[in-house]
Amino acid sequence: MSLKNILENWSHYRRGIEEGGHHDYEHMWGMAIDLNKCTGCNACSVACYAENNLPTVGKERLMKGQGLHWLRMERYWDEPNVGGDDQEFQERGGSFIPTMCQQCNAAPCEPVCPVAATYHTPDGLNAQIYNRCIGSRYCANNCPYRLRYFNFYSYYEESWPEPLNLQLNPDISVRDMGVMEKCTFCVQRVRSAKDTAAREGRKVMDGDVQTACAQTCPTQAIVFGDMLDKESKVSKIWAAHEVELGKAKQNKSNKELRGYRVLEGLNTDPSVLYLDRVREV
Amino acid sequence: MKRYYVMGLFSNFEEAFATIHDIREHTIPGVSVDDVTLKSPIEHPEIEEILGDRGSPIPKFSLYGAIFGAIFGFLFLASAQATFLVQPQGGKPVIALPSNIVLSYEMMILFGVLSTVVGFMISARLMTKRHPLYSEKVSLDQVGVMLELDEKNVNPVKELFKKHKVVEIREEVSQ
Amino acid sequence: MQTKDINENIAWAKINKDVLRSMENPRMGYWVALAACVAMIACAVVAEIYQYQVGMGPANLNWPHMWDLYIATFVFWIGMSHSGTLLSAILHIIQADWRKPIYRFAEAMTLFSLMTAGLFPIIHLGRVWNMYWVLPYVSDRGIWPNFRSPLVWDAFAITTYMTSSALFLFIGMIPDLAICRDNARGWRQKLYTVLSLGWQGDDRQWRNFRRIYLMMACFLIPLAVSVHSIVSADFAMSIMPGWHITSFPPYFVAGALYSGCAAIITLFIILRYFFRFDEYMTIPILEKTCKLTFAIAMVWSYLTLIEFASVWYGHDAVAKEALVERFVGPYSPFFWLMLFCGIIVPFALAFEKLRRHLPTMFVVSLLLNLGMWLERWMIVTPTLAMSYYPFAWDIMWPSMVQWAIVFGSFGWFGLLFLIFVKVFPSVSMYEVKEMVFHRRHYHSEEIATKLHRREGDPQPGDGPSTEGVRS
Repeated sequence: MSLKNILENWSHYRRGIEEGGHHDYEHMWGMAIDLNKCTGCNACSVACYAENNLPTVGKERLMKGQGLHWLRMERYWDEPNVGGDDQEFQERGGSFIPTMCQQCNAAPCEPVCPVAATYHTPDGLNAQIYNRCIGSRYCANNCPYRLRYFNFYSYYEESWPEPLNLQLNPDISVRDMGVMEKCTFCVQRVRSAKDTAAREGRKVMDGDVQTACAQTCPTQAIVFGDMLDKESKVSKIWAAHEVELGKAKQNKSNKELRGYRVLEGLNTDPSVLYLDRVREV
Repeated sequence: MKRYYVMGLFSNFEEAFATIHDIREHTIPGVSVDDVTLKSPIEHPEIEEILGDRGSPIPKFSLYGAIFGAIFGFLFLASAQATFLVQPQGGKPVIALPSNIVLSYEMMILFGVLSTVVGFMISARLMTKRHPLYSEKVSLDQVGVMLELDEKNVNPVKELFKKHKVVEIREEVSQ
Repeated sequence: MQTKDINENIAWAKINKDVLRSMENPRMGYWVALAACVAMIACAVVAEIYQYQVGMGPANLNWPHMWDLYIATFVFWIGMSHSGTLLSAILHIIQADWRKPIYRFAEAMTLFSLMTAGLFPIIHLGRVWNMYWVLPYVSDRGIWPNFRSPLVWDAFAITTYMTSSALFLFIGMIPDLAICRDNARGWRQKLYTVLSLGWQGDDRQWRNFRRIYLMMACFLIPLAVSVHSIVSADFAMSIMPGWHITSFPPYFVAGALYSGCAAIITLFIILRYFFRFDEYMTIPILEKTCKLTFAIAMVWSYLTLIEFASVWYGHDAVAKEALVERFVGPYSPFFWLMLFCGIIVPFALAFEKLRRHLPTMFVVSLLLNLGMWLERWMIVTPTLAMSYYPFAWDIMWPSMVQWAIVFGSFGWFGLLFLIFVKVFPSVSMYEVKEMVFHRRHYHSEEIATKLHRREGDPQPGDGPSTEGVRS
């Protein structure tokens, strides 16, 4: 079985991402988040909690740093001249960045899992297999964005006492203790959209799939879609800001173009584009 | 045909070596140095000068074991990785050479060590019944020279032993 | 003041007697030590049961501190395991025979360190009950572990190293087990008879023995280097600042040899005192071990300091911040203590008066090992505290659960070692006999002729002498 397999497919097995990988991608899910539109309202974070059965760990554990928020709203006070140290109106001068798993195409978290519980799907998503994870936490250490979260306790009893457990999303599991988890670009929604499209005999169209955060955002700051579909909204945003996948450094014709990817110099090739806030000079 | 075993215990290496030297010089006809087994409490590499180089097959076991380990290791890993086309990871190819080299190296050493140990057990003839002429004094501080002989050579050999100040002589007959 | 590594006048019979006496029924002090070790293990077991049931949270692990003392202590124990390899294999190949009285307990220490270290990758897992998934077995779903991960490399390397070390220890012990077999009664005799595999001291057996010992030493040296390089790969193969450093493999190997040598000095002093092995584990041999430790300490110090230099030369702002953080950040007291224990304290090994003073050497060796343990901790935690993403910067201190388990690991090691010294000879009898024999012949022909006799043996001059005759 295996020896013949290896010899026949040798060149296929030896292709890394620089040689185009060996996937034929059917979709490449990506996101674009406009930080100018983001108000920091946290609705996306709450939606993520609701959609993905995230446990609320409680104040004490959150203070200890054991939270489980797949989408976190980061606040930076980087503009003091706009009132950054104002105690009463703290939002003034604050920048908000909602960050979730960047679904890196060259993800540093993937090769280091000892049991292969995380891998890259033909959809361009970084998948986490909860059943396979033994909780060695190497992937979390290797994620430069620190976007992987760990179940430090078993939250089922405390987070959803009766009748709150009735609000759990049946499309996705509740994770055991000792398991790593992270944003999946609402893969359950992606799968069900693909199933619907297949049933109806058509391809998935732009707008069929919306992640919970994109759906909830009141200012439509989060745009989600298929980057292989050149007509999708997200592709247009990426193209408009001249950011391409597969490059660690973008060549932009216009310095004023706001699009950037976080820590892209580390060669992780993330799938999330951020549009920088328009700042007063 | 009866085989006689005679063992002389000496209190130091010099006397034992002198005895063997005499046997080597064919002092007693019909008894050659190949019939001699030397029992000693320590490793003493100079034994080989006296007894002649009798060789040891262990390095061959090590070599073949290590080569097998390296090849088997790489093939095993590559075939395990090859079953999973679905799992490209981190932008790296499915059969990644750097990580496979590390693991093949470890397998090479593991199999080299195991085959060396097996070779040792076989060539040193361990785990067989102890020869009845075994003396506990050998593990203490005496050196034994044991000869496998025909009946007619027993007495000349005993005389040779006594000439070299043997401390104790034991003999045994096997059918 | 003794300057010879060993006194050539020791009769072989006395060597047997002294070492076998160490394996007799133990006195009260031994049982107290054993009870203390068991108590330490009990602490760890209680903590681990709590952690197993509740999760990793009570250990104060958090986001981003996903690894902490468990991994640091794991690396520490693997490091300590390099002692036996260094002493046995490397010194054997270069024919430094002063290793002969001390290598047996060093090799035992190697094996037990590995057995202790092997517990930690299991303890630190979130789902401990699935730990066997890391091993490559034929599963019904055809799933294999991810061979790209340095943790799987760890599993392979430690298994190989443990097997090889155990075999090396066992094979090297076979002639000694034959001696024990000849002098034992009861259950011990049965045990030794089985374990000595019918060893008779034939020239065929000795010849093959010499070969296999050399072969295994040749295998073990690259293995030891590769094992600790692989353990360093847990850090070096990640992309984190402060971890992704190319000098980590040799740095860790140097730290391992350092740690192992310091532990040899500690156990040397303990065994020499309690078993009255003064004639075998002599002060000159201790001095040589201390000098070796000093040399390795200087290697380790150089590698530490040169790492600072290479960060300074590079323009990587994140790496520089990670390094500066270690010096002035919240973990800096431990970092400075580590530098003190690792770089300054070994200078005590440079002075002969101090080297010969056993209590000082005991304290120094413990401090050196403390420095090495701190080094591992200071590699793991400050990088996690301050890495690429500022939003994730956090300071965390380990909880009592972690400390209890780390503490208990020392008890586990102590227990294994205590059992070893009472059941197996902790000084290699046949090698000491060889050492005495060769030195006797080297130093004094006269003594050689005189002392190899026992009462009633014929004296030289009684008959024709054949001393020095060779074929």
